[in-house]
Amino acid sequence: MQVLIQQAKITDKRSGFYNQVVDILIEKGVITQIAKSIKIKVKNTIKADGLCVSTGWVDVLADYREPGYEHKETIASGLNAAAVGGFTHVCIAPNTNPAISTKSIVQSVIQKAAGNIVSLHPLGAITQDVEGKNLAEMLDMHAHGAVAFTDGWKPVQNPQLMLKALEYVKAFNGTLIQIPVDNALAAGGLMHEGETSVRLGMQGIPALAETILLHRDIELLRYTGSKLHITGVSTAEGVDMIRKAKKEGLNITCSVTPYHLVLNDKALEGYSSMYKVMPPIRGEADRKALLKGLKDGTIDCIASHHRPQEWDAKAKEFEYAADGMNIQEIAYNLALQAAGEERIADMMTAARDILGLGDTNIEVGAVADLTMYTTSGSHTVNSMQSTSANNPFIGTTVQGKVVGIINNKQVHLNK
Amino acid sequence: MSLSVKHLLGIKELQTEDIHTIFRTADNFKQVLQRQIKKVPALRDTTVANVFFENSTRTRISFELAQKRLSADVVNFSASGSSVSKGETLIDTVNNILAMKVDMVVMRHSASGAPWFLANHIDASIINAGDGINEHPTQALLDAFSMREKLGNLKGKRIAIIGDIMHSRVALSNIYCLGKLGAEVMVAGPPTLIPKHIEGLGVRVEHDVKKALQWCEVANVLRIQLERQHKPLFSTLREYALYYGVNKQMLDSLQKEILIMHPGPINRGVEINSDVADSKQSIILDQVENGVAIRMAVIYLLSGKTGLGE
Repeated sequence: MQVLIQQAKITDKRSGFYNQVVDILIEKGVITQIAKSIKIKVKNTIKADGLCVSTGWVDVLADYREPGYEHKETIASGLNAAAVGGFTHVCIAPNTNPAISTKSIVQSVIQKAAGNIVSLHPLGAITQDVEGKNLAEMLDMHAHGAVAFTDGWKPVQNPQLMLKALEYVKAFNGTLIQIPVDNALAAGGLMHEGETSVRLGMQGIPALAETILLHRDIELLRYTGSKLHITGVSTAEGVDMIRKAKKEGLNITCSVTPYHLVLNDKALEGYSSMYKVMPPIRGEADRKALLKGLKDGTIDCIASHHRPQEWDAKAKEFEYAADGMNIQEIAYNLALQAAGEERIADMMTAARDILGLGDTNIEVGAVADLTMYTTSGSHTVNSMQSTSANNPFIGTTVQGKVVGIINNKQVHLNK
Repeated sequence: MSLSVKHLLGIKELQTEDIHTIFRTADNFKQVLQRQIKKVPALRDTTVANVFFENSTRTRISFELAQKRLSADVVNFSASGSSVSKGETLIDTVNNILAMKVDMVVMRHSASGAPWFLANHIDASIINAGDGINEHPTQALLDAFSMREKLGNLKGKRIAIIGDIMHSRVALSNIYCLGKLGAEVMVAGPPTLIPKHIEGLGVRVEHDVKKALQWCEVANVLRIQLERQHKPLFSTLREYALYYGVNKQMLDSLQKEILIMHPGPINRGVEINSDVADSKQSIILDQVENGVAIRMAVIYLLSGKTGLGE
């Protein structure tokens, strides 16, 4: 494989060529030359107006439902979606059946993804079978490739269990990932509690459901001195609590979904289940606070919270419809709209360090793990690689384009 | 005469003029209902399905009578619990009924927003007969129509809605309807039964029922929705009846005579005492009577027929 990327601006701050427009030659999966202009005949050349290149993007949390729920998303279809979305690394939730809560399932999903252009990283469950009762074999899963641990959309509720989990992973410098939702306070709720929920006659989920759990987890983190990543922060108060915890020096990082950055609760006015997600889409003041958190570095990165659901699971009364948005393929476009050109590369790549996925850089001799994209131009969202299509942005116009990715000695280019 | 909407999903989507149009049409139908032959042939070629996914007695009978008095053909479908528990989806259930050439669907459903969801998937006109804790538009229309009958123009009139505001679709539809008609609205009840942020809808909030009664000209007392409460929202019915129930003594202590309404079914001795519900101040049975005229008006206007078919 010999590929020449022509006249691309390097947007990765770690690269010695940061902010320079250069040609990049890749041979057998390794960057062999970077220069203002490389005059060499290569069969595969990549060029585009306003082309940018950063190290490959990382998705902190996505749902691929294999094994168990292949009708929603298989590992293969999920990885195709990731490639289209510009991700070279995807961490998947243990939301499978059986859940990723033992070494054998960790190995099995890694095996399934072997040889793909996108690197798949299983997130092991914190508790056995994601039941929130007993600790799963995190040490063993870690030894076999689980990069971090989470109970995904069933966040750990029992404080003692969470305390023990935070302590337990210290043995291998592990990271826990938590979606901050207190189930008791969210019970029965269908959307963000606010004037819009009252107007729509839907039971609300108060911001309190986020902040109470977040407060608890921050206290537990302070007590244990462990490592915690909060994903899907959705409220102004939540962002503020993480900002303070970071300032204090706690080992806490956080990610936000692309849809929380661009939508507010008014999106639910037509009762469309496409907007039913957890944590819920919050009010406009919360959205603005997320943008501020993005700008000042409180929010480290994007997590797609890609949750494919088959048509039947969504074509229901709002209350009965399944949660989640199928968003991985356009996560970048929405994040770009919110984060802007300056911050976008950081937002898409920062999870690599947070989750310890290994060093990479755009320099001669480095293994090519790259995402190529443009920030200008727009296109209409249409066909999806995902098995499911629960994406309310289908048919709408989004800004920017993922040109392609290079990883694992392979190239994927979007049309 | 026609409405600005194809469906009656909620009062929130109606223009004020729509409400007046419905009232004027209901005035005519109310006259029809006083005659010896209480029937008009307006909807002879129309078939209406009453699809009730939640129990209902009065609303269903009221709709059915309204349809029959318009000479429509009527089919009734009831399923206790949700469509989901029966294994068939809502879209499938309704499409199966529509496949038998039904023109209009009246639906009650336990999930908020269900009629909006359905409206995106079927062509027939939909009348919402109550969805979850969201809206019950025909109830709000008949409530306002009954108030208008006694008080005239509702602009500036003070209406208190008392009781379980949080779980009541009647409350929300009433708030929208009365707001559009220019009335002042207060909601009163225990703080746990009044949704946070409701002031955003332009209503006053009061936790002392006696003060609410002193303030208002009409008290619309709502039923405690015991079946909708999954959370501990108040202690006991006894305490509720003692401190939030409306009784004769309270009414007698007022310096004025207010109208008493209740959408039914009544929990006598809980939110309202019999000596109030059955008093001459009570217009509860007028509400029931007007319900038929209002529903005739809504069905007739949405059917798109012209002339009263007489």
